Order: sequence, then C-alpha cells, then structure tokens
Amino acid sequence: MTPRSRAMDPQEIYARWLERGARFTFAFALLSLALYLTGALEPLVPLDDLPRLWTLSAADLRREVHAPSGWDWLRLVRYGDYLNQLGISFFALLSLVCTARVIPAFAKSGERSQALLAALQVIVLLAATL
Amino acid sequence: MHLADAATAWWIWPLALFCLTFLLGIVAVIAGVGGGVLFVPIVGSFFPFHLDYVRGAGLVLALTGTLAASPTLLRSGLANLRLVLPLALAGSIFSLAGAVIGFALPVNVVQTALGVIIVAVAVLLWVAKGHDGLDPAAAANFDWRSRRGVLGIAAFGGIGFIGGLFGLGAGWANVPALNLLMGLPLKVAVGTSGLAISLINSSAAWVYISRGALLPAIAMPSILGVMLGSRIGARLLHGMPSVVVRRVVISVLAVAGARALLRGLGIWA
Repeated sequence: MTPRSRAMDPQEIYARWLERGARFTFAFALLSLALYLTGALEPLVPLDDLPRLWTLSAADLRREVHAPSGWDWLRLVRYGDYLNQLGISFFALLSLVCTARVIPAFAKSGERSQALLAALQVIVLLAATL
Repeated sequence: MHLADAATAWWIWPLALFCLTFLLGIVAVIAGVGGGVLFVPIVGSFFPFHLDYVRGAGLVLALTGTLAASPTLLRSGLANLRLVLPLALAGSIFSLAGAVIGFALPVNVVQTALGVIIVAVAVLLWVAKGHDGLDPAAAANFDWRSRRGVLGIAAFGGIGFIGGLFGLGAGWANVPALNLLMGLPLKVAVGTSGLAISLINSSAAWVYISRGALLPAIAMPSILGVMLGSRIGARLLHGMPSVVVRRVVISVLAVAGARALLRGLGIWA
C-alpha cells in the first residue's frame, strides 16, 4: 500500500480523526474539570450538596435540583458541572463523527456494504442522542 | 455500611475515587482485565453513590480508555474497522436497549443481576487462560479469516445489552467471542474488542447523559485515575507477577460481586 492510498484507507481516516478528536476532548475535559473542582467556575449544583444528592437515583436528583430535560442542559454550560457534562458528551460524540467521516471513504473505495453499515451505525448513534 | 456516611466533606469521595481507580488502572493492565468491569462492582458496593452514577461512570470510563487506544490499534492492524462495523451495530442497538431497561428496573433488581454477572465474570476469568499463557494464535502478523459471523453478531448483541445495562466495559466477553467463537488471533481480538467497545458504549452513554446519570464529580476523577493507572501498569507489566495479581483481582471481583448480589437481595444492606 502506497503512503497516498494508505492515507485514503477508511481505517486510517478513522484513526486520524479519532486521534485528533480524542486529544482535543481530553484537553477540554481536563480543563473543565480543573475549573469545576477548584471552584473557578461556579456549579449549578453546589459541591457541598453532592454527598446528599449522589445517594439519590438519577431521576430523584433531577427532580430535586430541577435539572433540565433533553438537550436543554446545553444552555447551562456556563456552570462548571454542565461544562464537564459537555466534555463527557464530546467523548460519546467522537465515534459518531469518525464513523460518519468514513461513509464517503468506503463509498469511494467501492465498499458499499461497509458504507451502509457505517451509515446504519451513525443512525443508531444519532437515535441514541434523542 | 459504606466507608463513611454521607456527611463527609464532598471532596473526600472524588479523591478516594481517583486513588482507587488509579490502583484499578494499574492492576487491570497487569491482570489483563478491563478497568470498567472492576469499577462498577467495587465502587457500587463500597462507595456511597447511587448505582445509576456508578453505571454511568463505568460506561464512560470504558469508553474513554478505548477511545484513547483505538488510533494506535487501528494503525498497527490489531483492530479491524471492517470487522467491527457489523458487530458494533448489533452491540450498539442492544446496548442502547440495555441502558433504557436499566433505568426502568428497580435498583435492587439491577444490583442483584449485577452481582450474578460479576460472580460469573470472576469464574470465567478464573478458568480462562491469562495473558501469560502460550497461545499459538497470539501473534497478529499472520493470515487469518474470521468465521461464524452471524453467531459473532448475536454474541455482540448480548454482550452489548449487558454492557449498557450495567455500565460495564465488555472486554471480558468480547475477547473470548472474537478469539474462540470467531477465530481471530488473540492480539487482534483484544484490539478489535477495544474498538468495538468505543462504538458500542457511545450509544448507551447518551442514555446515561440524557437521564442525568453522569455526575462529573464521580465520572471525571475515575476516568483520570484509570488512565493514569493504566499507563503506570503498562510500564510495570514485565516486572510484576501477573498471575498473582490476576488471582487477587479475580478474588476482589468475586467479593464485590457477592456483595452486590447480597445487597440487591437485601441481605447485606
């Protein structure tokens, strides 16, 4: 395999995108965690309340702190805890982005069944976000 | 009884979690098991957090570890994207279903089932060959062809369901499915399992995010602890008696599984 054809291989493209995405996401997650735990960025749920709240189920905690449902939490990323949630969401988003990126690469290389499988995987991951 | 009551200063728990997961990261690498499968039963049994957040953190912890390793595995040929896509598709669908069902079930039912699964995993690890074993198919650099694709897809569906339900990394089940069932060389099975987990856990992770079951104060120190510990573990790998460490890990897993089971049944609250 020549360096050019290797660079166009869907597996290499996936690896390249995942590597860059993972670096960015880890850096973002570290920074947001530092801002959150040091108190530099105020959390919506006070840190001192956590020992009581994390004994509740997720449903009870959401009721207790009036947490937003669905994607409404994105409006709260100015708070330290929700900025961290954004970092965690980036981790979950990486595979979706990388898989979506290799669909045209598979189609271009004539691997239609692989392109279809990748497209179905993207649909499942998108459905999971709803 | 937990290690302390809920009135303890909040930062004690993330710090304790970081220390524990750092240790788990080290021993998981040396013992040849995933950190995710150790995290949920141990933290779920001995820390004061509700099981929802432990499952969420365990799932993301397994996800981040495999995301970090996958580019290297793909480039070295130890993970195969073309092979993973059909397996991950089945795994993702069932993982999503497992996560949704996990939130619909009463916590004691989930805890009891978790205990059963973890004790079964401990037995499986005990009888299975560790990474010190001489496996003639261990090398990646020879021609291989996967077989029993339909059975493999079915197996990944079942494994994905368990992973999504309990927030476990599923390497303990993926690797035997890929190696023994589908005939992949052991190293390729390990690498391909990692890539599959990164895709499969991504789907269930969204369920945990949308249900508010990912508390950053629990998930983030755990992710950092396991990642740092894994790096140290990888360096110590050749100088440690891995068989002894593996036996200790399996014993701890069995105790944590039994604890989860008894707690779920209301015998050891």
